[in-house]
Amino acid sequence: MNSKKIRVWDLPTRLFHWLLALAVIGLVATGKIGGNLIDWHGRIGLLVVGLVVFRLVWGLVGSTYARFATFFPTPGRIVSYLRGEWRGIGHNPLGALSVFALLGVLTVQLLTGLIANDDIAFVGPLYDLVGRDLSNLATGWHKLSVNVLIALVVLHLAAIMFYAHVKKDNLVKPMVRGWKDVPAGEPARGGGLPAVIFALLIALAAVFLASGAWLPEPPPPPAAVETPSW
Amino acid sequence: MKSKILLALLATATLAAGAHAQVKVEDAIKWRQSAYATMGWSMGRIKANVDGTYNKDEVVKAANVIQAIANSGMGALYVPGSDKGKGWAETRVKPELFTDGPKVGKIAGDFNQAANELAKVAATGDAAAVKTAFGKLGGTCKACHDDYRKDNK
Ligand code: HEC
Ligand code: HEM
Repeated sequence: MNSKKIRVWDLPTRLFHWLLALAVIGLVATGKIGGNLIDWHGRIGLLVVGLVVFRLVWGLVGSTYARFATFFPTPGRIVSYLRGEWRGIGHNPLGALSVFALLGVLTVQLLTGLIANDDIAFVGPLYDLVGRDLSNLATGWHKLSVNVLIALVVLHLAAIMFYAHVKKDNLVKPMVRGWKDVPAGEPARGGGLPAVIFALLIALAAVFLASGAWLPEPPPPPAAVETPSW
Repeated sequence: MKSKILLALLATATLAAGAHAQVKVEDAIKWRQSAYATMGWSMGRIKANVDGTYNKDEVVKAANVIQAIANSGMGALYVPGSDKGKGWAETRVKPELFTDGPKVGKIAGDFNQAANELAKVAATGDAAAVKTAFGKLGGTCKACHDDYRKDNK
């Protein structure tokens, strides 16, 4: 069979993907273990804010197959895929559903985490914006929705195994090397250095916002205010 | 016959007196919520010292509070019927805490031990050791919350 090598996943998309995978493993582990590791949970969480925002921007300015418009799972595309008529490259329409679902749940996880508290000795960096009641509520959601995230990851892995063993299509290698053997198709274009810088700047801005560094200084620490000495 | 009635009356009276001495559900919930909140205060205090400038006295005070509460026999505040009801707020305890006997005992025991250990190292003023013991203690708070405290919905 005639096939040619084309570039599918640009480097930023691949870096994003594998860093995200590592970070999510780290977050689930540190979240479940708690103790002093909750501090790392917060730090890795901020990293993921950056990663997810980077990916959202990259979905607009990245190279061909990284763009949301390329793989947006419209009903038409899904139907044609289910009929076996889809001939695209990159995320197929069902895979695309999984991409959007994962990004959606991650966003919920991040937004709730940023205002969460553990009632022990840790609060998310934006906790001061919302107060105890809403924070407690968000913490409850955070713990619930992580199960949805884990379920989606399991589904994601199962689908990759299914493609590897049943459809004889190795999806992992292209996500590592960037290129893929395909019968026909155009290589990914666009997503050059300016686009990378643009997306990185927005991601950094998001991390800054999420870190709460811009919040007004909390009331001076106990040592600085006059309180009775008993 | 008369003496039997008298006995029954006496028995009821003693029971009632006993019940009176017992902790009321509402109070039990209030007290335990207050005790936990006080530990929350102390944990935050220690954390501020571990992360920022370390003040041995502050940490000793806070660690002693936690140790005292941990060893106060808080189980006494989980009176029958207090799986539901309102203290300062609606209780968040899970009913399993009242039925899981040995498992709760183990978690509570780990918590006591960790609280004692923290108070011990706090007295030495060794900030690194305090940080480790503090993390361990936080893990035991979480272990109980994970299993026996409801999340807000
Ligand atoms: C043996 C189980 C157990 C352990 C150990 C435990 N907790 Fe809790 N905690 C609970 C339960 C149950 C509640 C809910 C009480 C209620 O609403 O009736 C609670 C509630 C709380 C609350 C909310 C109090 C409020 O305002 O209503 C805080 C804060 C808290 N715990 C902090 C801690 C800290 C800090 C530690 C460790 C130093 C700790 N807890 C250890 C079971 C535990
Ligand atoms: C995609 C990102 C995230 C994932 C996958 C994640 C995952 C988790 C998990 C698995 C837990 C343990 C839940 C449980 O005990 O059942 C947890 C708890 C927690 N997370 Fe996250 N988290 C994320 C982001 C964040 C962020 C950004 C913050 C804040 C900076 C945060 C703050 C917290 C807090 C405070 C808890 C403790 C809740 C408790 O023990 O009561 N999380 N998270």
